[in-house]
Amino acid sequence: MVNLNAMGIIFANMHDSVIPELTDHRTMASVPFAGRYRLIDFVLSGMTQAGVQNVGVIVKSNYQSLLDHLGSGREWDLARKRGGLTIFPPSADSGYGYHGRIGALKGILPYIEDAKEKYVVLADCDAVCDLDYTALIERHISSGAEVTIAYAKEKMTPALAKNNVSLLLAPSGRVRELLINDPQTGKRNLSMGIMVIGREQLVDIVRTGYARGMVKFEQDILAKNLDTMKVYGFEYTGYRSRIADMSSYFEANMQLLYLENLNRLFPEERPVYTKVRDEAPVRYALGCKVKNCTVADGCIIEGEVENCVIFRGVHIGKGAVVKNCVLMQDTQVGPGVRMDYVITDKDVQISEGQYLGGTKNFQVFVKKGTTV
Amino acid sequence: MKECIAMLLAGGQGSRLYALTQKLAKPAVPFGGKYRIIDFPLSNCVNSGIDTVGILTQYQPLELNEYIGNGQPWDLDRLYGGVHVLPPYQKASGSDWYKGTANAIYQNINFIERYDPEYVLILSGDHIYKMDYSKMLAYHKQQNADCTIAVLEVPWEEASRFGIMTADENGVITKFQEKPKEPESNLASMGIYIFTWKKLREYLERDEADKSSDNDFGKNVIPAMLGDHQRMCAYPFEGYWKDVGTIDSLWEANMDLLNPNVPLDVWDESWKIYSRTAGQPPHHIAPMAHVENAMITEGCEVEGEVDFSVLFSNVKVHPGAVVRDSIVMPGCVIEEGAQVHYAILAENVVVKKGAIVGARPEHMEDMSKWGVAVVGAGVTIGAGAKVGPKAMISEDVKEVL
Repeated sequence: MVNLNAMGIIFANMHDSVIPELTDHRTMASVPFAGRYRLIDFVLSGMTQAGVQNVGVIVKSNYQSLLDHLGSGREWDLARKRGGLTIFPPSADSGYGYHGRIGALKGILPYIEDAKEKYVVLADCDAVCDLDYTALIERHISSGAEVTIAYAKEKMTPALAKNNVSLLLAPSGRVRELLINDPQTGKRNLSMGIMVIGREQLVDIVRTGYARGMVKFEQDILAKNLDTMKVYGFEYTGYRSRIADMSSYFEANMQLLYLENLNRLFPEERPVYTKVRDEAPVRYALGCKVKNCTVADGCIIEGEVENCVIFRGVHIGKGAVVKNCVLMQDTQVGPGVRMDYVITDKDVQISEGQYLGGTKNFQVFVKKGTTV
Repeated sequence: MKECIAMLLAGGQGSRLYALTQKLAKPAVPFGGKYRIIDFPLSNCVNSGIDTVGILTQYQPLELNEYIGNGQPWDLDRLYGGVHVLPPYQKASGSDWYKGTANAIYQNINFIERYDPEYVLILSGDHIYKMDYSKMLAYHKQQNADCTIAVLEVPWEEASRFGIMTADENGVITKFQEKPKEPESNLASMGIYIFTWKKLREYLERDEADKSSDNDFGKNVIPAMLGDHQRMCAYPFEGYWKDVGTIDSLWEANMDLLNPNVPLDVWDESWKIYSRTAGQPPHHIAPMAHVENAMITEGCEVEGEVDFSVLFSNVKVHPGAVVRDSIVMPGCVIEEGAQVHYAILAENVVVKKGAIVGARPEHMEDMSKWGVAVVGAGVTIGAGAKVGPKAMISEDVKEVL
């Protein structure tokens, strides 16, 4: 593997507000996804595979579940003596939390200054993808750009319209205009929330930007300096899901019921790592019925399931009929329960014989730890 | 110092598993969808509070060594103690292969002495069971025994297949018979021993000095201690225990996991079985698939029919393929229309379109020709080819046409 001489910085709480239901007690980075992962796994695994061995994760609030998930970073091969994983909770001098990306970076400036790497990859966690970080960093180096932003051509949705960074590009790939929450419909070049920048330049921008009261990196720095700063786009064309609100979260999970999507998001040559839970394989009991499901380990399926994404440790009781659901870790579905279009958060119990139903466009959400 | 350390005998060739152990030590044979046999004793150790384990390897150790690594998956990466793989090594006086189970321990006396243990637990790497060794150790101490042997009540008609212990009403062993024709008792040794280390050390040295000895626990050390009237006790174990040294018993033990009435529960959160896994995405059951009474793990793609079977990671069952009463190890592909019945497929076997592996007993005219078919690692069964029941396809075959 080529050492591309880059470090990573991940913003764990960025975009928390788009799915308050799931970030009520966790960060965007630790939102469960695809049966056994958290959103940050995709970013961390991608970085690790590009040889990034020094990763800082900036957390602001609600980060207990994220700390538990990351541990020492061993699962991503980031438990190292030199570099490795460093988690940055708010510190006394950054005040209560921070303000915008500039504030967040200001709080960890000594860490960035002391690093030896030449480049920094900045990443949010709300876009799930199989980005080849090696290609992104190589492009950044070869194009002579100061900043390279990964983007994808995407159809605007009402949810995306409320929270996006859209790029207008010259044929050379240089960013001519950068719009925050671009209201236009149709296909747009939407940032994946992942970009590369020179480390020394980042230090410079953060220091001077902070001094001038700037808060938002994209809005206050990039958008205003496109004529002098060489900002380039890097198109990502692979599989992706954007978590922009609850229904896009549901849809993103449902898309993983298609084998081709599953294989595109998890190509054999680029595994996605996550915290190991040492679950046994799934046991499908005699008399169960299962159709079109994506199921993580540790589950026991005795009833009927169809079109569901089932996370680790879920139990579906005898005679239960569960359709079109996303059942997070350790959900217990009692015997005879009927469920349709429901999302259950972790540790939910649905008692025997209950009926819960939503619709294709509006799913019932059951909060973490609830007994129905 | 450690109160008790474990020594796990993992050097056996497992010759009765034929094609499955051609390039693999028996303890490293995959089991139960995402485990290997050795995960059971290792997890038992950790769950019992034993944090120092020596693993004695000799036969085909490469994959086993790699699998154990630093012991992290079992929480056995410790500053003091942890797991250590102990192959035979060269000494100033020359080098020796491990001549027998007792000799393997004898050659590692220095390793054991480093931890200055009071007790040593001797385990073997070819049994599937869940057991709390700390309870056995408490029993050993309470009995003030020199040696405690875990025993299991077996059906009388099977007793002549085991090492049989006769014990008095206080649990003190009075007699030991190896595979007796006419058993006096039905208490079978499970191959799990706790010794008071000082005593064991003395007998290992004596056994080594005896040139006529086979240097084996069951054949030599235990009878010698018994002959000297050392205090030897039988620790009764109740629960699931199975020797998976043969194709049939390996197949049965896997199938036992599918039977909710068999007390081998790998889903029990309070006694987890740990393993080193590659971490694959969740498995997918397609709309046209039929899955019932099966164990399926990460990375599998099931589009065909799977019934009464255990699928390991990354197994692909294509549309129209049928897998029944079988064990399919990691990375196998069962192509369209292929059928697999009563078979064990080792890693990365490909069963091409329309091929048939194994047979169903109800379709046999001559039951003496029926048995579990085994296909060695990496073998391709060509399109339309047939592998009969009880077949044993070596991994050297590469392709069956």
